Amino acid sequence: MLADIITPDLFASALRMATPLALAAIGGTICERSGVVNIALEGIMLCGAFAGVAVTLAVGNAWVGVLAAIAAGVAIAAIHAFTSINLRSDQVVSGTAINILALGLTGFLMEILYGHPGTTEAVETIKPIFRFASERGGGGFLAEVWHWVNTILFSHTPIVYMAIIIAIAMQWAMYNTRWGLHLRALGEHPRAVDTVGVSVLRGRWVAVLISGALAGLAGANLTLEQVGSFTENMTNGRGFIALAANIFGRWTPVGSYGASLLFGFADALQIKLQIFRGEINIPPQFFLMLPYILTVIVLAGVVGRSVGPAAVGKPYEKG
Amino acid sequence: MSAAAEDRSTNRDWAAIAQKVGTPFASVLLAILIGSLIMWISGYDPIAAYSALFQGSFGTPKAFGDTLLKSTPLILAGLGLAYGFRANLFNIGAEGQLFMGGLAAGWLGLVLAGQPWYVALPLLLLAAMLAGAAWAFIPAILKARIGAHEVITTMMFTYIARYLVSYLVIGPLKSPGQIPQTGLLPVEAQLPRIQSLFSDATLQAMPFLKMGRAHMGILVALVAAVIVWWVLKYTTLGYENRAVGYNPWAAETGGISVQWTTVKALCISGSLAGLAGAVEVMGVHHRLFDQFSSGFGFTGIAVALLAKNHPIAVIPAALLFGALSAGAGTMQLMADVPQKIILIVQALVIFFVAAEGIVTYFIKQRQKEATSNVG
Repeated sequence: MLADIITPDLFASALRMATPLALAAIGGTICERSGVVNIALEGIMLCGAFAGVAVTLAVGNAWVGVLAAIAAGVAIAAIHAFTSINLRSDQVVSGTAINILALGLTGFLMEILYGHPGTTEAVETIKPIFRFASERGGGGFLAEVWHWVNTILFSHTPIVYMAIIIAIAMQWAMYNTRWGLHLRALGEHPRAVDTVGVSVLRGRWVAVLISGALAGLAGANLTLEQVGSFTENMTNGRGFIALAANIFGRWTPVGSYGASLLFGFADALQIKLQIFRGEINIPPQFFLMLPYILTVIVLAGVVGRSVGPAAVGKPYEKG
Repeated sequence: MSAAAEDRSTNRDWAAIAQKVGTPFASVLLAILIGSLIMWISGYDPIAAYSALFQGSFGTPKAFGDTLLKSTPLILAGLGLAYGFRANLFNIGAEGQLFMGGLAAGWLGLVLAGQPWYVALPLLLLAAMLAGAAWAFIPAILKARIGAHEVITTMMFTYIARYLVSYLVIGPLKSPGQIPQTGLLPVEAQLPRIQSLFSDATLQAMPFLKMGRAHMGILVALVAAVIVWWVLKYTTLGYENRAVGYNPWAAETGGISVQWTTVKALCISGSLAGLAGAVEVMGVHHRLFDQFSSGFGFTGIAVALLAKNHPIAVIPAALLFGALSAGAGTMQLMADVPQKIILIVQALVIFFVAAEGIVTYFIKQRQKEATSNVG
């Protein structure tokens, strides 16, 4: 049975499941590094997921849908930026309001546009980029290795690869560019950034908007590449797991990606195990709990040793 | 004290109260206005919508009963959130503790079948409080010992609780039949309806008592509000809670254990949320199934914020959100507006209450304009 569970497509599925988490987690990293807590990732992702499907249904082109998802993410993030940076609201409370707003707005628009709650019509999903032939147990060791490599690395849709590129690019930018230096300083000592003549407000605005774009893209991946339709509240806590991944990844983009892989693997494993639940005889609900339990365990294990930006959550007042 | 000075001080008190009450009122008003704007843009008639909403929440004694029915768990969940906020803890996962409270009541009620009501009711409520507190305990310990953010951990525990309840009502606790739910609670374990306490003659004479499904859980909620208010204001427990919320370093220096206070605060918050789940099971559904809460734990966040974490102010705040939720159905039926607009209004209320800086922001903008005009 183990050979039926540990298959190449388990790891491929882990990579797929990790993608929306990773994109949101990197968004969370950038946002928190600039000093703004973003628990609105959940709601932003949901709005991106909805906008992606709605626009794809209207226009008929999924890539326009992806752009719409990013735009929706940026728009919702702008609300968070305005309330938490300009109005200096409590950032966690503002994020909560956005999460509730996202639930209400997507549900409301769904009933207006499609006349019913629940799930939208299906759209045609974005197809994998590469399509190399390979099969399991085809013959010889090399063929088997090729099958594993092909399934795990070359079976994916574009946003899965984009997430990897974004993780690496953001990591590089964060530690090798002026922007990255300022970003990190914003979260540690905003006054210092202000003193050298860089606007704290603008820097934080840019960071929050980037996190919105990434969470919106995460939503697009969920609906336009994975599921193919939108269901109310379909993000199901992924935004919060992404925050945990950001912490586990020690507030770095590549670390966030790595942590998301762990949660993605847990998700892939629980889906796989459900297929065998007749033999294992454990109710499906316990498998569904797995990613959430893992999140708590991971947080319990690392948080003490992983320290966030010093000025995170504190509004900045020019003085 | 001279009369003039006394006069001035009462004036100042009034100003302070007006300021405290003013923001929430303005927030609700603004949220409702923007809600109308959204309805109008979407092609609905906001006046028809709000009048249907009002009709469905206050129009008849039965409608008012529905408002009370929805407000009951909201008061308790709101109290839980407020108690946590006072210690600077955001129990965003109250919904999970609420589920566990509902589970405890739904299960123990069946176990205690045959007991008189004065044994069953207190035991069920107590069990629900313990279950809610237990569900908050691990996040509380993690917060106190290593600083794991309670927003993430309590949220994760909410999902775990939902799947647990879903499993139990499909599996071990399922009553015979097609529907995944537990057996009906014995009458002794149910919170009686308010109108069932009066004779037919009294109801004939006083028709406003015919409050439909409203149940005695409202009494539990009101008593809880007074107790939480008293605890926060007059006991050491409440003092420590507030001190830690206000300034943990000062509290620690003053000899208060911040860790221990954090654990207590989150567990008490959880026990109130658990109680919210119990009244919903014991008063409304009389059994447990996996959809028994319509997000009361999350709406509790809005209730606490609107009440500015004052336990007594939680009551009117919960009534407002209870009325919105009770009237939403009538609104959809009569004005054809999707019920989800209620969630949007709720989010807007939170935005405005949280954005206390909004007034100073616009004053500053005005000043900026003024100076730039002069320059």
